[in-house]
Amino acid sequence: MDVSSASVIAAALAIGLASLGPGIGQGNASASAVEGIARQPEAEGKIRGTLLLTLAFMESLTIYGLVIALVLLFANPFVK
Amino acid sequence: MFDFDATLPLMAVQFILLMVVLNAILFKPLTKVIEDRSTLISNSQTGAKEGLEQVNAITQQYEKALIDSRRQYQSIIAKAQAEAQKTASEQIAAAQAEAVAARETATRELAAQKVSAMAELEKQVDSLSQEIVNKLLVGV
Amino acid sequence: MPLDIEMLNFLDSPNFVSLAALEVGQHFYWHIGSLKVHGQVFLATWFVMSVLIIASLLATRNIQQIPKGMQNLMEYAMDFIRELTRNQIGEKEYRPWVPFIGTLFLFIFVCNWSGALIPWKLIHLPEGELAAPTNDINTTVALSLLVSIAYFYAGFKKKGLSYFAKYVQPTPILLPIAVLEDFTKPLSLSFRLFGNILADELVVGVLVLLVPLFVPLPVMLLGLFTSAIQALVFATLAGAYIHEALEGHGDEHEEEHA
Repeated sequence: MDVSSASVIAAALAIGLASLGPGIGQGNASASAVEGIARQPEAEGKIRGTLLLTLAFMESLTIYGLVIALVLLFANPFVK
Repeated sequence: MFDFDATLPLMAVQFILLMVVLNAILFKPLTKVIEDRSTLISNSQTGAKEGLEQVNAITQQYEKALIDSRRQYQSIIAKAQAEAQKTASEQIAAAQAEAVAARETATRELAAQKVSAMAELEKQVDSLSQEIVNKLLVGV
Repeated sequence: MPLDIEMLNFLDSPNFVSLAALEVGQHFYWHIGSLKVHGQVFLATWFVMSVLIIASLLATRNIQQIPKGMQNLMEYAMDFIRELTRNQIGEKEYRPWVPFIGTLFLFIFVCNWSGALIPWKLIHLPEGELAAPTNDINTTVALSLLVSIAYFYAGFKKKGLSYFAKYVQPTPILLPIAVLEDFTKPLSLSFRLFGNILADELVVGVLVLLVPLFVPLPVMLLGLFTSAIQALVFATLAGAYIHEALEGHGDEHEEEHA
């Protein structure tokens, strides 16, 4: 396997693995937020704002994986 | 994709310039107008609160005066009623006394008249019996 | 150094009508002296800056006590920014930081939305293509380095050299982590923004390439939403870092307002 094909596989793995954890985390956070809203409907606005912010943080982990994948695809330092 | 070059510092400089410009033409004037407005609002709120307090004070005063005058007129009414009661009872007592006195005089007069009438009657009985005796004796 | 295999270039084969092309890592270079700069980033940035400046001029040209039109819009944005800054930095010290965080938010927001809303692709450049300025790693790194400088400045201005006490404040064992944090902060800030915006554009680009009509619309809407959230996140994090530098780790008693 040459470096190019290895890089493509690595890019795919990077995206896929990087979306696992944040996916679980976002699910947990959203579940708790929905529970919170159901328990206290008057706090919905605040909960939603915080939820969006935390979701963005978790999302950024996936984005790091994406950045690595993009590096491997478009700016691979190991390929001349 | 990850090629850093002179774009980086130039972007930073541009951003700082943008910040300075926006601070001058956007943030300062708008902050000023927003804070002016909030002081204006809080001022007029305190003004309104003071006015409300004044109104409340005046209302209280008015209510107090109302209660006072109500008490006053109630006491006046009570006094007038008491006076009227007193006058009425006095007059009633006087009239009763008068009536009693009148009856007494009437009774006394009646008794006197009865006595005199009795005396006259006795006198007449005496004279009539005398005459009867005379007539009878004449017959004898 | 671009990869030899051009990504997705099999779609440009004659069997496909090329409605949109994806170009990553191509730049429209300008040469200033011996320096190279990315021309397309500057063109888009100038556009964004002129939009912001024109909007501000329109808003503050005729300031009234009762806002109308443009002034109303910008005051809404201003209220939002002030609220954000106050929530992050605290009632006492937020005022001097409003311009910095506000400019960050407005600039990133307008950049992201300009990339999502304006059909830049219709304007052809000799090389590379116009896109959101935040699509370029140079822009995001510049912004996040400015945030780093800003929070160092805030800490120094407030505490002088004793600002460095926060590195060994709970225990000196955490010193490497505390130092590392100063590097990861700008790194995560810049990569988060760059990756999100680039990912949006790539997803939309790929979808447009595959199905040019209607199908990319929901993704475009999601992209608009993500772009707005990323601007908010960037500004919020900048505020949070500045707040952390102002408060330090030691004096927890000042955190009453939080």
